Amino acid sequence: MFNFFLLILIYTGIYALMALGQNLITGYTGMLSLCQAGFFAIGSYATAILTTRYGWSFWGTLPVAALLSALFGVLIGLPTLRLKGDYLAIATLGFGEIVRNVLNNWDSLTGGPMGIQRIPMVTIFGFTINPYKKVAFLIMVIIFVLVTYYLFERLGRSRMGRALQAIRDDEIAADAMGINITKYKVWAFAIGASVAGIAGSLQTVYSLSVTPGSYTFMVSVLVLCMVVLGGMGNFAAVILGAFIIQLISYFPQLVGLSGVIPPQFKQILFGAILVVMMIWRPQGIIGVRSYMVGRKNSKKVEVSNELA
Amino acid sequence: MGSISEFFQHLMNGLTLGGIYALIALGYTMVYGILKFINFAHGDILMFGAYIGLFVFNFLRGDSPLGTWTFISFFIAMLISMIVTGALGVAIERIAYKPLRKASRLAPLLSAIGVSFILSNGAAWMWGTQSRKLEYPFDNAPFTVGGVVITPHQVMILIVSLIMMLALIIFVNNTRMGKAMRAVSLDQDTSRLMGINVNSVISLTFAIGSALAASGGMLIALDFKVYPSMGMMIGLKAFVAAVVGGIGNIGGAMLGGILLGLLETFGVAILGIPPAMKDTISFGILILVLLVKPEGLLGKAVREKV
Amino acid sequence: MPRENWQKGKMKKKTLLVLVVALVASTMIFASGDKEKKSGSVSSYKIGFIGPLTGDNANYGVMSRDAAIIAIDEVNAAGGINGTPVEFIAEDSEGTVEKGLSAIEKLAESDKIISLVGPVFTGPTFAVGDRCQNQGIPLITGSATHADITNIGDMIFRTVVSDGLQGEVAGHYFYEVLGYRNLAVLYAKNDYSQGLYKSMSTAFESLGGKIVDAETCMIGDKDFKTQLTKIKQLKPDAIYIPDYTVEMAQILEQAANLEVGAPFLSCDGFSNPVIFDLAGEYTDGVVYIAPAQVLKSEAYDKFVAKYQAAYGISPDSFATNVYDATKIEIEALKRCVAKGTVTRAAMRDEIAATKNYVGVGGLINFAENGDLIAYQGVYKVKGITPEYLGAFKVVDGKIQQVK
Repeated sequence: MFNFFLLILIYTGIYALMALGQNLITGYTGMLSLCQAGFFAIGSYATAILTTRYGWSFWGTLPVAALLSALFGVLIGLPTLRLKGDYLAIATLGFGEIVRNVLNNWDSLTGGPMGIQRIPMVTIFGFTINPYKKVAFLIMVIIFVLVTYYLFERLGRSRMGRALQAIRDDEIAADAMGINITKYKVWAFAIGASVAGIAGSLQTVYSLSVTPGSYTFMVSVLVLCMVVLGGMGNFAAVILGAFIIQLISYFPQLVGLSGVIPPQFKQILFGAILVVMMIWRPQGIIGVRSYMVGRKNSKKVEVSNELA
Repeated sequence: MGSISEFFQHLMNGLTLGGIYALIALGYTMVYGILKFINFAHGDILMFGAYIGLFVFNFLRGDSPLGTWTFISFFIAMLISMIVTGALGVAIERIAYKPLRKASRLAPLLSAIGVSFILSNGAAWMWGTQSRKLEYPFDNAPFTVGGVVITPHQVMILIVSLIMMLALIIFVNNTRMGKAMRAVSLDQDTSRLMGINVNSVISLTFAIGSALAASGGMLIALDFKVYPSMGMMIGLKAFVAAVVGGIGNIGGAMLGGILLGLLETFGVAILGIPPAMKDTISFGILILVLLVKPEGLLGKAVREKV
Repeated sequence: MPRENWQKGKMKKKTLLVLVVALVASTMIFASGDKEKKSGSVSSYKIGFIGPLTGDNANYGVMSRDAAIIAIDEVNAAGGINGTPVEFIAEDSEGTVEKGLSAIEKLAESDKIISLVGPVFTGPTFAVGDRCQNQGIPLITGSATHADITNIGDMIFRTVVSDGLQGEVAGHYFYEVLGYRNLAVLYAKNDYSQGLYKSMSTAFESLGGKIVDAETCMIGDKDFKTQLTKIKQLKPDAIYIPDYTVEMAQILEQAANLEVGAPFLSCDGFSNPVIFDLAGEYTDGVVYIAPAQVLKSEAYDKFVAKYQAAYGISPDSFATNVYDATKIEIEALKRCVAKGTVTRAAMRDEIAATKNYVGVGGLINFAENGDLIAYQGVYKVKGITPEYLGAFKVVDGKIQQVK
């Protein structure tokens, strides 16, 4: 019971990292991205490949995972920046699926559908952080989340944070004020992607095994829900959102109901929560209406959608 | 590629696959054209329609052999499925989307994802996860034309999607209700001032879109079978097709669907891309098209108003 | 945070606090209730199960779980073990490592299961198997076929042969007995299917045969016309399709519609009778390799009848393997109870000590590493009825019929 609660906290921490990144992209900058799963996978595989095949230590793979994810963030960010709302969502969703598809097919690098097994545990100063004994691992995850949270709070209050908010609230006005929109948007995408990559590294050394089946579209949706449920644009709220979503996801297992109720109920309940939440409190638990992205009443329509 | 007949065989395969994408993309594009939001649950509504059709058809058909009665009962099943599924679509709109009409872009998207979870898992819970066969109501024995093997089902998919496209175009352009739909898609507030009942127009859009999905789902299920997640991937691909063709554009949905089917087929047949990477082809094309022409191949670009 | 939001945020903090407290409190209440139930003497023996019960591959997980439930119900209907019932707890892996790990965590720590059945797919089995090995929980899988699974350690057993063994017999049989020289393959990019393709082609090519084309697909694909059109032009002697039931049904029907003409060869995935419901018109002449004897025993017929009565469909060979795995765990548990030491370690030793167990899927013995010692059977479908052609093994690079 207690151990299972620790597991929920570890998963919360890993997803909170992704959610913090998503918050920078969606909550701060107003870009509706749906590919944290893709960056998560890239980070996971970077760590898995470098530790098993080239004998790197986990700590050495971290910057690689972060940089590689950021690089793909820029690659997907640069071209799709012109897209708004739903279009960006669907393009990024496509990117996430491509990542998974490639991981499943590039056998020589990723092990194909079999994935990569026997990933070494993290060691620090000769001390092994054994994921089977959860406390040490949880402490490591919490440190990662706190450091990231601190950095993101700083970032949010900085010149860049204000620029991002200005872009979200009114892109044209921000442009007129001399804010380099493209530059800031790409930065937001790259930073948001890099923390998802780090989250992937942590996931790898927790599960000690990676398979392409674990990085589905569902992961991206979960992360977006954490941001929305917590409250967009508020980094602390996003961490809370991650905790609540993970608690809901694992609640049946935590209290021993999972063997009793039909397995589909968890997903049905999750779907119902999404619908009810959107109707009842779309701004999240901690959040204000002004923090919504892509408002309809702002007369910014890039594409003619009329029925022809 | 070996021979001319192989080329035409691939062409035929690609066209039918494209026809299937187009069939679903039509419903997608109609809802998007009027409400400007991705109905993520469209694929699951299609699945629901296929199940209803399967149950009604099997009930009506009983043990009767292939013949006139199976053909008629298939159409009765399709009609009933379209009505039931259309009603489901309207109900979903009322419950999950209507309260969000004034909300941000994000809210209806997430709400639709929620509906999709509920439908697909609800179906798995109620009807089980195994695939079920929907029997052909006609003899599907293949015939050969110049070395190319074609089944009647393939021909039917292409013809039905063409008819559906034409019917939709005529409906939207030449009827009172169609005009009202176009008005609503341009500006809801002004439409209301002009005396259009916006709510009933939107309901009708959902009813038609869902009924189209139901009939499409049944036709597809003849080949692909009926199972709870049948609408997922194919729904996503159809959406990609709709965006590639220019979302909101009925002709574009058809074009996008056919194009996607052909490119997936020939990407494998000519370029030698592993077939397991078909999804990468589709999504790659999507990103490419969005880059070069974000409004889609047949979409109209509008200058940004300040 | 801009000031206006900051102030509103402050007000929200109370709501937030209440919410978190409520969540934690409800968790604690549930937890304490949980504990009360457990205190007292052993009220039941717990066997866990992990498999995909939702998601794209749910079908295979659900069939396996349902088979295990039949085995558990049988022992409980007979009064349990010395009057103590066996409790079966199934957890959903959704086919991912992440959920597989949370499932084993829950089963091991909260339920304190004595042994595990599953996981169903190879991917999560590696991660779950590592934990089981680490925590000393014996595990029997009925469907994870990758050769390395049993190398995880001494806690891991299986009632299915590794894909290496099946593929080897397949390659030799196709070349030596059926006399094929040029084969085409259409396999799915999934651990099971790819594993079979690789081991079959290694054996087949080592004998001098040629794989003229190896096409891929994804699990869940429905349209195989492109791959089949390519294969048709190459005119192979036969086409090997080591896939899952639903995919194979699609392939057979579309191949017939494209008039491909070449005969089809398959694997244990073909043992699922659902294939005859989905593609009964096209199954005539298919030769497939599957566990020996599956169709020969009376026990098997009984099991199938029970399964059909309970669920309305017939079990496949994986479900059959899972039924046997569950039965073996129950038998081992009985021996543990009789000896008076009901621990995971004792369970492991009793499972390993299983000798000549007559399962519904044939005679079961475990090798030193936990692998199933079994012969492969060859079946040929006539209409919609598979005919058993006998059991085979490969000795010194030559195929031999086992008498």
